[in-house]
Amino acid sequence: MLNFSSFVQKAQQLLDPTQGLNLPESDKNPSKASLFQSQFRLPSSQHPLYEITAELTIPPANVTQGDRDRDRGFQYAGKLHLSEAFLCFSTTPSSFLQSASTSTSSIFTGQTHGGGPSGNGFTFPLCAIRRVERLHSQNFQFALSISTWNGISQDAAKEKDKKDLREQRVTVQLAGSRQACERFCDGLKKGLRANVGNVAKLKKVTAECYSEYLLRPEDKKNATPPDAGLGMLFKYPGDPKKLRDRAKMRLWAEYLRDNGRNMTLIRQPTFHKLIRVGLPNRLRGEMWELTSGSIYLRLENPTLYADTLAKFSGRESLAIDEIEKDLNRSLPEYPGFQSEEGIGRLRRVLTAYSWVNAEVGYCQAMNIVVAALLIYMSEAQAFFLLSALCDRLVPGYYSTTMYGTLLDQKVFESLVEKTMPILWEHLVKSDVQLSVVSLPWFLSLYINSMPLVFAFRVLDVFFVEGPKVLFQVGLAILRINGEELLDASDDGAFISVLKSYFARLDESAHPKSENPKLRAVTKFQELMVVAFKEFSGITHSSITELRLKNKDAVLSNIENFAKRTAIRNLGPDSKLLSNDELGALYDRFYGVLYERQQRDHIIKQEQARRAKNSRSRLAEVASEGDHGIEKGRVGLGPSTSLMDYDAFREFLAGMCKWAISDSPTTPRRETFPEKEKGFYSSFRRPDAALLSPWGAGPEPADHEFLRRLFQKWDTDSSSSLTLQKVVSGLARIKGKRDIMGTITYFFELHDDNGDGKVDREGILRMSEALLFLSRRGLEGTLSPSSSTVTLSATGSASGGQNDVPGQSVSERFLGSVSAFIRRCFEYADPDHPKNQDSAVRELGDKLESTKLQEEPASEQLASPDAFAIGDDDDDDEDDDLLAMDSPAGSPKAPAKKPNNPPPALQLNSTQLSPNDDPDTRRRVSKAQSEKANIALDPSNPLHITLPTFRMVVLADELLEQFFESSFPSSFHIIEGLTSANTPTSASSLTTFSSLGIGIGIGGATSRAVNAATPAAGGRGLRGVLDNIVTDGMRVAAEVRRRMEEAQRELEKNALASGQQQGQQRGGDEEDEDEDEDGAGFTSDRASTRSGKVGRSVRSSDRDLLTGADAEAGDAAVDEAGPAPGGVGEGGRELGGNGGGERSSETGKVVGVEFDG
Amino acid sequence: MADSNTPKPSSSVKLVLLGEAAVGKSSLVLRFVNNDFQENKEPTIGAAFLTQKCNLPTRTIKFEIWDTAGQERFASLAPMYYRNAQAALVVYDLTKPTSLIKAKHWVAELQRQASPGIVIALVGNKLDLTSDGAGSGGDADGAGAEDSGDARKVTTEEAKTYAEEEGLLFFETSAKTGYNVTEVFTAIANAIPETSLKTARGPGASHTAGRTEEQRVNLNGPRDPNAKEGCAC
Repeated sequence: MLNFSSFVQKAQQLLDPTQGLNLPESDKNPSKASLFQSQFRLPSSQHPLYEITAELTIPPANVTQGDRDRDRGFQYAGKLHLSEAFLCFSTTPSSFLQSASTSTSSIFTGQTHGGGPSGNGFTFPLCAIRRVERLHSQNFQFALSISTWNGISQDAAKEKDKKDLREQRVTVQLAGSRQACERFCDGLKKGLRANVGNVAKLKKVTAECYSEYLLRPEDKKNATPPDAGLGMLFKYPGDPKKLRDRAKMRLWAEYLRDNGRNMTLIRQPTFHKLIRVGLPNRLRGEMWELTSGSIYLRLENPTLYADTLAKFSGRESLAIDEIEKDLNRSLPEYPGFQSEEGIGRLRRVLTAYSWVNAEVGYCQAMNIVVAALLIYMSEAQAFFLLSALCDRLVPGYYSTTMYGTLLDQKVFESLVEKTMPILWEHLVKSDVQLSVVSLPWFLSLYINSMPLVFAFRVLDVFFVEGPKVLFQVGLAILRINGEELLDASDDGAFISVLKSYFARLDESAHPKSENPKLRAVTKFQELMVVAFKEFSGITHSSITELRLKNKDAVLSNIENFAKRTAIRNLGPDSKLLSNDELGALYDRFYGVLYERQQRDHIIKQEQARRAKNSRSRLAEVASEGDHGIEKGRVGLGPSTSLMDYDAFREFLAGMCKWAISDSPTTPRRETFPEKEKGFYSSFRRPDAALLSPWGAGPEPADHEFLRRLFQKWDTDSSSSLTLQKVVSGLARIKGKRDIMGTITYFFELHDDNGDGKVDREGILRMSEALLFLSRRGLEGTLSPSSSTVTLSATGSASGGQNDVPGQSVSERFLGSVSAFIRRCFEYADPDHPKNQDSAVRELGDKLESTKLQEEPASEQLASPDAFAIGDDDDDDEDDDLLAMDSPAGSPKAPAKKPNNPPPALQLNSTQLSPNDDPDTRRRVSKAQSEKANIALDPSNPLHITLPTFRMVVLADELLEQFFESSFPSSFHIIEGLTSANTPTSASSLTTFSSLGIGIGIGGATSRAVNAATPAAGGRGLRGVLDNIVTDGMRVAAEVRRRMEEAQRELEKNALASGQQQGQQRGGDEEDEDEDEDGAGFTSDRASTRSGKVGRSVRSSDRDLLTGADAEAGDAAVDEAGPAPGGVGEGGRELGGNGGGERSSETGKVVGVEFDG
Repeated sequence: MADSNTPKPSSSVKLVLLGEAAVGKSSLVLRFVNNDFQENKEPTIGAAFLTQKCNLPTRTIKFEIWDTAGQERFASLAPMYYRNAQAALVVYDLTKPTSLIKAKHWVAELQRQASPGIVIALVGNKLDLTSDGAGSGGDADGAGAEDSGDARKVTTEEAKTYAEEEGLLFFETSAKTGYNVTEVFTAIANAIPETSLKTARGPGASHTAGRTEEQRVNLNGPRDPNAKEGCAC
C-alpha cells in the first residue's frame, strides 16, 4: 500500500495556507480561509482579507430614519471581518490573520452557547450594503454607519416610498490604530465598489425569500407569496395549532422587522432562542438556507439550478436510474409525495444535484433528506442546501464509499464510550452493534427515525450549530433510554426500545409528576434539553478531533474492503495473476490516480493563486476548491476509477524501467498549457519542479509502444482503463509466461487492423518497440553464454562503459533487432500477387549480385526513382547486416577480436575493413540504403504474418529470451522500481549513442563522438534506430510543434537556403555529414508524424533506417521537399533545434567519456 | 406460522439479505413477515430489522432478519450487518442478468468474510414476471406481460448450476405472488446446523476484541480460526 498520508502531508506543505481548503474535518491544520468560511458559512470563494476589533451598535427597535433617539440600543463587542464579497461581524473573537494561532482562529468551533459558530452579529453580502458613512463622533473614534438594502425593493427606492421606509442602519465602531482602521476602510471601499454589480442578483435571490413577503408593505398585500415549499400546497406536517405556528410567526415577523431579513439579518440572542423553540413553517426553509449558508451559494450563482436542469435536460445517467427507483418511496406518508407535483420537484432537485456533483451522484437517504427540505423550501433552495449539506455539514455521508457516515459512526461510538461507559460496556457485552441503529439517524438526519415534526426541530438547530447537533441528539437519545437499553440483550431488543421511544416523543416526559409544568414537558423537549445542556461539551472541535483520530482506521477499512471486493471481481483474467500481484496492481492503479489528483489539485491551487486578482477566474476556482485536497483516495470515494493515457504512462513508469522517459524535461501539454511556450523545457524554477505534472516520480516515456499497449488494453476504446482492463492486459503478458503467447501478443499489438498481417511500417514499429523496451537493459533470465562473457570483458577493457554485463547483452540485443528487421523483410510476403515478381526479383538480386555499387553518388541523387527500382543490391550490405548480428545473434560464436574498442564497433570494423576508408564505407552505406529502398518501396507493399514473426523471433536466441522472460519480467508489479534501478538520465541508457557509437549531433560534440568511433559506417542502422528511440521520443513533440514554423520558413527561403546549403555541403566533413544525417532524419520523422510531408519522406525515412550516409540522407531530404534544397534547409534547421537539445545531453556523456 | 402447543426448543437465527438494489429483498421479507406486498416502500437506509418465527417439526427458529440497502455504495456497510449472521439470502432479479453477477460477488464476499458455516441461499426473485410464473400470470404487471410475458433473462439452469458449485440453497420466488417465499426460509431453518444454534448469538467474552474491528469482523472475531479456513483461496 502506498503511503497516502505522507503524500497528503507533503501536498499540504506545498499549499499556500490562505488557499481555501474546505476540509475542516479532515485537515489537521485547517487553513484560515476554511475556518473563516466555516464560521460564517460562506462559500469557498471567500477569504479573510481584513479584520478589525469593533463594536457593533444596533439602534433600538422602531427607530425610523431621521429620529434621534438617545437610547444607544444594543451593543456587541466583537470582530469585523471583510472578505471579497462579505462583511461579517461576530461576537466570537476568532481571528483569521496569518499570525493568529490556530486556536484563535477556531474559537468558534468550541462551545457556542447556542449562538452558533457565527455568534451574534451579521453576515452582510457587500452588495446588500447600500451605503457606508464615516461618522464624526464626539470622541474622535473611527465609526462607520452601515445602511443596507433591507426592505428596499428597487421600485421602493423611489421618493414616494421613502417616508415609510425604515432603513436598516447599524453603527460599527472600529477599535484599532488609525492606520489599521484606514486600511480596513479602504478594503471595504474597494469591496463595495466591486460588488455594486451584484445588487440585481441580490434582489433576485431575496425575492424568493418568504420574509420579503411576510414583511411586505401594505400596498402589496395581494402579491403571490414566494414558494415556501410543498407545505403551502399540501399542508405542513403536524398540527399548526399544536406547533403554535401563528405565535411563532408573529415573533419572527417582529424580529425580522427590527433586525433585518434574509441577507441583512442581524443575529441577536433572540434569534437563536427563536430557532430553539422551532421555526414557523413558512419561514423554516428560508432560515435553514440562511443559517446553513446555502443562501450565499445561491447568491453566488442564482441560476445554477435552472441552468443545470436545462443543460442536462433529457440526459440519462446511472444516478438518474437510481433516483427513479426511490422517488415513489421518499416520505410516502406525506401527501405531497403522493402527487406528481412533489415527486417532480424531488426528481429535479436530486437529478440536478447528481449532475453538478457527479462524484456523489445519488445516495439513498438523499431522497429522504431532500424530500424533507422540499416541504419547506423551493426547488432551488433545496438544491443549494443539499450542496451545503454534502460539502460542508455532513461531508462524505453520501459519497460512494460513505466514509463520512462510517467515520461519524466511529466518532459516535467513542463518544458513547466516553460519556456513558456503563451502557457502552453493556453494548459490548451483549454484542450489540451501535451503528446498526445509529447509522440511519445520522444518514437521514433523524428524518426517518423520528416523527417528522420532531426531526424538523432537530434540523432547525442542526443548520445553525452544525453536525455536532446530530451527535448531541444521538447521545441524548441513548442517555434518556439508558435504563431500558441496559435490559436489551440483542440488536432486536435494542432497536425496539428505541423505536417505541421515537413513537412516544410527543408524550409527556414526566406523566406522573405532580407539577403540571413538568407534566407538560414532552419527551422531545426533554430530549432537546438533555442534548444541548447535558451534552453541551460536545463541540465542533471535539468532533473534529475524534474524526481526525479515527479517520485513518475508517478509511483503511473501507479501502481494504474495496480492495478485497475489487480484486475478487476482476474477472477471469485475474486468475492468471497471483493475489499478491493483483493486490499490488490495485495499489499501484489507485495510487497513481490518487497522486495525479493530488497534483492536479496543487497545480490548480497554484494557478488559482496566480489568477487571484482575476475576478472571473475566482468563481471557477471556488467551485473547484470545494472538493478539497484529499479527493481521489479510495476510501473517500474515488472521483475516478478510470486511467487515462497519461496516468497509464505514469502507472507503467512505476513498474517498468523502459517506461521512464529519457528526457525528463519534456513539457506536458495538459497540465501546463501556459508553460508550453518553451521556457519550461530548459530551465525550471525550483518550485516549478515540485509542481511537475509527474510529481516526485520519474517522468514516464511517451512512446508509440505505450500508446499501443494502452489501446490494446483499452478493449472498449473508451480512452480510459479500468483496473479490470489493466489486469486483463497484464495477465496476458505476465500471466501465462508462455513464449508463444507473448510473441502473439506482441504481434497483435502491432497488427493495426487485426487481419493477421503487419506491414512494413509495422515491422519497423516492432523493431522500434524492441529497442525501446531494451534500452535500459534487459531483465529476466538470459542465458549467459561464452560470448556474453567475452563481450563483457571487451566492454570493460574498452573502458567508459558502466554496467558492463548488462550492456553487452543489450548490445547483442541491438544486433538481434537489426537482424530481426532484415529477416522480417526477407521473409515478408508481398501484399499483392502482382508484386510477387518484383519481390522475387529483389530476393534474387540480393543473392546474386556480388558487385559493389559503383555508380557515383550524384547519379543516385539525381534519380530518386532508382531507389524504387532496387536492382542494385550487393553482398556487402547483406554481409554487413549479417555481420552486425552474427556474433550477437548467435551468442555461441566467440567474439573474434576481443581487444578492440566497443564490441559493436569492433564487429563492424571486422567486416568493413579498411574501416577508415571513407569510400568503402560510403559505398557500403549506399548499398544498404538502396537495399532498404527495395524493401521499403511503397509500391511493393509487403507484410509479415504471425507465423513469420514467430519464426523470425525464434531464430534469434536473444529475441526468444526476450519474449520468454525479459519482457514479461520487465513488469515489476509487486516490488516496483526502487530508486536504485530507476535511471532517469539518458547516460544510463543502452542505446547506440550511449555505447559511444557516433550519431549525428550538433557541432563539436559530434566531432568528438566521431573521433571515438571511426567505424562510422556501423552507425548506419544503429545510429538511425537510436535516433528513432531516443531522439524521436524526446524531440518529436518539440519538432512537431516547430515543424509548421520551419515549413513556412522553408518555403519562404527555399532558394536562398538551397544555395546556403550547397555552400555548406561543399565544406562538409564527414562528421558534419552526420549532422545532416541526424538532422535530416529528425525532420523526416517529424514531418511524417505531423503529416505535412507525403509518403516520399517516409520512404526516405526508411532509407535512413538502413544506414544511409550523409549523401543518401541529403538526397532523401531533397527528394522529399517541395523545393529542392528548401527542405534541406528546413531539415537542417530542425536538426539544429532538435540536435541542440540533444547535444547538451549527449555532450555530457561524451565529455565524461572522452575529455576525461 | 401456526403456533404449536408443544413446547419446542426455540433459537434465534440471524439472517441477512443481500443483493443488488431493487431486486426485491425488502419485498421478500415483507412477504415472509407480514404476508404482504407493497409497491412503494421507503428505501432501506443502512438496514431494516425484522423478526419472524419459523416452526419446524422439532424446533422453532426465530429469524432476526437484517434487510440491507441494495445501493452499491452501501456495500461497504454490509460487513456490519452480516457479521455473526448464520444465514444469508442473496437475492437477484430473474429479469436482470447483472443482478446475478452482483449476487455472485456477495456470495464470494460472504464465503470469505462472514461466519464460517453460514447458510447461504441464492434466490432469484420476480418469478411472476416470467412465463413460468407459477400460475400467477394474471397477476403479472405490464413489465412482464410484454414480449410473450416472459421477461426472464437468467435461466434456472445457469443459476442452479452456480448454486450447486458453491453449495448454496437455490430458489426462484415471487414476492409479489408469495410463491416459494416461505419455502426459502423453511429450507434455511432446516439447513442451520443444530450445533450452531446452541452457540448462536451467544454473547461471547471474546467479542470485545472484535468490536473495534467490525469492518473486518470475522478476521478478528471469536470464530477466527475457522474463518481462516473459509478464506483459503
